[in-house]
Amino acid sequence: MCDWCEKYGDGYERWYFNPANYARRLYKIRKEEAVASGAEANPQAAGGMAFVGRDFIEARDRGDIAEVERIKQQTEGAMWLTHFGQVLTLEEAHKITDIMYPISLISCACRRSMEGLPDEENFTCMGMGPGMYKWERWPDTYRGGVHFLTPDEAKEVLSKLNKRGLVHSIYTFGTPYLGGLCNCDYPDCAAIRTVVDLEIKILWKGHYVAKIDPELCNGCASCIHRCQFRALSFNPSRNKAYIDQFQCFGCGLCATECDQEAITMVERASLPALANVW
Amino acid sequence: MLPTIIVDDEKCEDPLSCRRCLIICPTHVLGLGTDVGAQKFRETDTSHFIVRPVRFDKCSGCMDCVDGCPQSAIQVSFGGGDAR
Repeated sequence: MCDWCEKYGDGYERWYFNPANYARRLYKIRKEEAVASGAEANPQAAGGMAFVGRDFIEARDRGDIAEVERIKQQTEGAMWLTHFGQVLTLEEAHKITDIMYPISLISCACRRSMEGLPDEENFTCMGMGPGMYKWERWPDTYRGGVHFLTPDEAKEVLSKLNKRGLVHSIYTFGTPYLGGLCNCDYPDCAAIRTVVDLEIKILWKGHYVAKIDPELCNGCASCIHRCQFRALSFNPSRNKAYIDQFQCFGCGLCATECDQEAITMVERASLPALANVW
Repeated sequence: MLPTIIVDDEKCEDPLSCRRCLIICPTHVLGLGTDVGAQKFRETDTSHFIVRPVRFDKCSGCMDCVDGCPQSAIQVSFGGGDAR
């Protein structure tokens, strides 16, 4: 079972369907986080760019497994208490728009950092919950302003971003308070690249795993480019798509693109070998 | 082998509007931050934006950023050799 569902699910099917995890009383970490990054004047913290420093990359480079493991565990331990994410399918993201309020469309800090995108081209992130009422206190976090959305408008935006190929994920801001619904891609998303490149689990795999039906797959390969997690490839021998289910993060982007309906999203828990692969 | 990538912030005046190096790098090594943290009730002026090597472990040493920077503000070196 997913650790977070176990800890914070309280009988709900998923921890992020439990309305208590969006409650005002949980929202307290924002101030401390901002003051901390300000005090250090750390460009990486300010830009939301990197979760680990050069010491980790150097340890990896020289093959110091013990040091890599130490920094990794330290980083994950800290992030799981404050700010981490889990991948969602589009359906799950839609469902969340009916649980949390308000929902706002904001500019993406990661893409501002990695692409220098002008704000008007960068509205792909969603802030949600009571923290959004105070957005004007942190104009730098919300560069370009904030668009408050109705649940229906939010669903429409999520569908459009899905079409564009962006992965949906939900983030804690002081675990288990859920305050962000991000729509991301590799390598600009700090969470995706950190988990994919550095294997530090800032982003947890979702509750589904993509499964291909070889009978239905016609080899069109239109799904391949949708994967942001290196789980999809094309198998010329069979002329079909190939999904590495152990690498699959369960975002469902490949499934929403397949017009043969050859890819289904299977409950992770239903697959014994994958049930604990997060 | 890991590179040392140095950006001269004095020369690199307004990276948020230039963003030439961010776009030109084939492996998305470079990213923007600010030299001040998030400030309450204040939007950070673009003059405080700085370029830093975020994913330097993905740097191949192609030197496209070094050659492409209109301000010649970027230096890349490997293994303590001469920086370009």
